[in-house]
Amino acid sequence: MSLFFQSLVLGVLLGGLYALLAAGLTLYFGVMRVVMIAHSAFLILAAYLAWFFTSETGLDPLLSLVVTVPLFFVTGVAMQRLLISRLRPATLTMMSVLLTFSVALVIEGMLGFVFSGTQRRIRLPYSGDSIELFGANIAVVKLIAFGLAAVSLGALFLILKKTQFGQALRATIQHPDAARLVGINTDRIAGYGFGLGLATAAIGGTALALDSTIYPSLHWHWIGPLMAIIVVGGLGSIPGAAIAAMLLGLGQSLLQIPLGTTWAQTIFYVALFATLMVRPQGFFGGRLAQRF
Amino acid sequence: MKVTTTHRVGALALASCLTLSACMSSGSSSSGEEGDGPINIGISLPLTGDFSEPGKGVQRGYEAWADYVNENGGLLGRDVELTILDDQSNADRVASDYEKLINQDGVDLVFGPFSTRLVVPAAQVAQDYGFLFVEPAGAAEEVFTQGFDNLFYAAPAVADDHYDYLADAIEALPEGQRPKTAAYAAMDDPFAMGTAYGLKTRLEEMGVETVVDEVYPPNTTDFGSIAAKIADSKADIVVGGTQYQDAVNMIVALRQLGYQPKMAAFSTAPTNPEFPEAIGEQTEGILSPTGYTPEADYPTNAEFVEYYTEREGNPPAEDEANAWTTGQVVAAAVEAVGCADPDPECQQQLIDWLRENEVDTVVGPLTWDSEGRPEGAHLIQQYVDGEIRIVLPEEAAEADLILEKPEW
Repeated sequence: MSLFFQSLVLGVLLGGLYALLAAGLTLYFGVMRVVMIAHSAFLILAAYLAWFFTSETGLDPLLSLVVTVPLFFVTGVAMQRLLISRLRPATLTMMSVLLTFSVALVIEGMLGFVFSGTQRRIRLPYSGDSIELFGANIAVVKLIAFGLAAVSLGALFLILKKTQFGQALRATIQHPDAARLVGINTDRIAGYGFGLGLATAAIGGTALALDSTIYPSLHWHWIGPLMAIIVVGGLGSIPGAAIAAMLLGLGQSLLQIPLGTTWAQTIFYVALFATLMVRPQGFFGGRLAQRF
Repeated sequence: MKVTTTHRVGALALASCLTLSACMSSGSSSSGEEGDGPINIGISLPLTGDFSEPGKGVQRGYEAWADYVNENGGLLGRDVELTILDDQSNADRVASDYEKLINQDGVDLVFGPFSTRLVVPAAQVAQDYGFLFVEPAGAAEEVFTQGFDNLFYAAPAVADDHYDYLADAIEALPEGQRPKTAAYAAMDDPFAMGTAYGLKTRLEEMGVETVVDEVYPPNTTDFGSIAAKIADSKADIVVGGTQYQDAVNMIVALRQLGYQPKMAAFSTAPTNPEFPEAIGEQTEGILSPTGYTPEADYPTNAEFVEYYTEREGNPPAEDEANAWTTGQVVAAAVEAVGCADPDPECQQQLIDWLRENEVDTVVGPLTWDSEGRPEGAHLIQQYVDGEIRIVLPEEAAEADLILEKPEW
């Protein structure tokens, strides 16, 4: 029983992290029908920057967000304006896979070149600390990562729902032509949307770095599950991705008890196949995030 | 007309055969004439991907060895040159790399890559071309059961025997002091599983009950659930069949769940210099088998440690030492036989020589059985007062074995 409860707690924490890591990925697709293979590479890049920041200054890795979030936002806008907007609209989705795949390779190569292939881990005084709750241990680092996920997803939700920029962005997601007709500069909005997605990668990468050992090729282990999450959640829908992330994280954690690690990992792909067969548009998002 | 066409085709085929054989014979004669040129050694290593960490260690070892040999008169009076390719930790890639090294680059000798999963396909290629294949890191049993007759593992012991001294020490304890329950978690990798299951077999024979037995794929990023199972079992001893990042992640996850075992043993990772940096002060009491330590007083070791430390700024670790050992083993055969070229006859002589002779290396004197298994045992190290020290066997011990691991 205690193992079940402990796994439940771990699953919720894991699901929160997945939700944060997948949020940007679904946003890119929603805004521009871009499949961003490099998203997880940017996560690892942010994790490396957090590690580098801490090992150089000795300060808490969370402080690196002050630099990395704006940096990633600007990088995202630049990447959208300079690279992705050059792709022909007719083949945008397909070609974006190739383009961002190459970006992922460049990032991985640069990380290896600058920081070497040595596996790094941020050494935190509280890395092994935990809080006990009804017999289950909640690791402080995992709780912080969960908190970061909750805060940034909440902020993202507010930005999209309550600000004028958010309205414009949602309009661009729902119907680009109509958005242009009412005077929205959809090119600029798309750039900002992409920047916003990449800014979540900065936060996600830092959250990841708190409790994992990082190395340049780690991003390949992440992109598969994250892609599965956004498809199950409905491409383009952030709440859908968050719900799917939570369910799959919980599922993975709980299935590990009877099935072991190897089979528990397949839940992502089983869910992916099931979604494509039964409800290709995703379970929670509806048609391309129109319900956001 | 039909006849003429057939004739033409025949003539063309004949001509191309002649050209081809001319090329081949000119190729072999030119390499024969280059007897005074450098000896080219082909290697493929996982410099990127899952095994990049140990792969780079092996690379440093090979490069240091080559420079050392060249500074000391070379091999058979010839300089040694390394051609190192990156196989990206990919088993298909490693086979085509060795194919390319032997076929296109025409290397004189090959050294092995890192880790069992890559050694097996690589050794197969070397076997097909009749090449001697000495490797630094394929310790799992399946390496030696493939029927390779060209393979030698340049380290003291195979994976299943790594924990032998620890198992002996536990067996020597009075029954009441032995651990009663054990948890095993191993990466789905022949080497990593071999080490953990080697100890598992021994402990089960002593009546230690297995309460957790988990195998996880190499791409596992989250160790929370595995740790939860182990913590829930409250096993007296936890054994990790690990490489690097999995051990670090698992130890942190176990600490987060407040699990305090009496004994904790992990393969590979604890001997890595990054390990204490990642884990901090909580390394105390962690056990690990090792095939190498810079303090060992084998004849050539002091020279190796001094040369390597001067070159890299830190003493060599196990991967570097095993690479160096590979160099030493091949060099001993080459010097004894007096040849180093891709000719199958020369390669066969090298193989035959190693079957029958003992080689002095930085990890001790090595001999092999007919499948290439080295016939020694691994030292057991433990973190004692923040430093990793040899604790078993007693005659080589630098510190006393801590039986009751302090809390981590």
